[in-house]
Amino acid sequence: MANNAKKYIITAVTLGVIAAVSAGIIGLTNLLTSKQIAINEQKRFNAGIVAIFGENASVDTKYKNEGNGKYVQEWYWVHMGEGVEPNYIFKTTGSNMYGKISLLVGFDRAKNFKGTYTLVNEQTYASTLVDNYLVPVNGGDKELDDVTCGATYGAKLVRDMVKEAQEYCNGIIIE
Amino acid sequence: MAREKGYTKNNFLKGIIIENPLFVSILGTCPALATTKTVEAAIGMGILFTIVLVCSNILVSLLRKLIPEEIRTPAYIVIIATFVTMVKMLTNAFLPELYSTLGVFISLIVVNCIVLGRAEAYASKNKVFDSLIDALGMGVGYTLALISMAIFREFLGTGAFSFGKVFTFIPEVTLQIIPKGFELSLFQTPVGAFIVFGVILVVLAFIKNRKAELKENRARQERLKKQKEAAAAAAAAKSTAEGGNK
Repeated sequence: MANNAKKYIITAVTLGVIAAVSAGIIGLTNLLTSKQIAINEQKRFNAGIVAIFGENASVDTKYKNEGNGKYVQEWYWVHMGEGVEPNYIFKTTGSNMYGKISLLVGFDRAKNFKGTYTLVNEQTYASTLVDNYLVPVNGGDKELDDVTCGATYGAKLVRDMVKEAQEYCNGIIIE
Repeated sequence: MAREKGYTKNNFLKGIIIENPLFVSILGTCPALATTKTVEAAIGMGILFTIVLVCSNILVSLLRKLIPEEIRTPAYIVIIATFVTMVKMLTNAFLPELYSTLGVFISLIVVNCIVLGRAEAYASKNKVFDSLIDALGMGVGYTLALISMAIFREFLGTGAFSFGKVFTFIPEVTLQIIPKGFELSLFQTPVGAFIVFGVILVVLAFIKNRKAELKENRARQERLKKQKEAAAAAAAAKSTAEGGNK
């Protein structure tokens, strides 16, 4: 009985120590890398704005999605220069059984779809989704609703994310 | 305990050739099919995999006498997951292009059978130095296997070899070998990955069988030669004996 109790304690303590040390190491790594990761994310975000709207595009105030949307997290006005009316950019994130995807979705002032830019693509069919769906949709060679592409579940997710962003965009009233 | 001569060398080389994790043990096939579209991505995956394997093998070997039998596997998984998480964060911070190219397959190193397999089968029973050499051999073997698949896939699928797109710290270079329009884009798809993997396995099996056949033929010839020599010796002995009798 006493032997068994000792064995259980040793087992629990060993696993606990391993888990605690692991947590400490991961925490330390996070401390060392989080700043750089944030810088990279900002760079990627800026590259996305430029990829959708061109060199002159810039953003300022961030608007959080306070509504019930599933994918839209935040949105920004995209300024194109003095005297030019701004466009819209939405940051959307979604996931399905094949992984996570995070996109920037752009709309012009008339609320027409301008394109997407991939921030994170952790889908297992990531490259198929990019080559067979995202690139043709952005290039105007494929309709947003034509989701048959070899990564159909990912394409459906992207379509739903863009549509939610569009609905959100249509709901924005300019005063 | 005395160990045989050349043990360390053989321990390293076995992972590259005789026990190659991908082409001989057929382990770790999922990332091999998914991350071999380009040579650069394959090198990146191989390096990250090797780092995780080496670190986890060393730690498992160090703790082999402290971890109770009952919690061996969960403890190994926690150790491996820790190193994978570290590698993932560091890649995301310092090699963002590699991070976005490999995507979910960095996290999936946790469940790669080679890493857990080596921890369980080798590092938990051997000394730290031997475990390190074993991990290096397996890591290099896996990396070379990934590169060999990627060479075929990138060459046939894009007609070119590109560098500097994933490892952005080197200048971007593209060597267009097959003229554009003549490449077989099938090889950039999962189907192409399976075809390349299958063809490599067939070629390796053919070479292995041919070697075994040659070895067997040589052994048979040796046997025949010995039999002939024995027969000749017996005949000579017999004739000598007969001559002596006369």
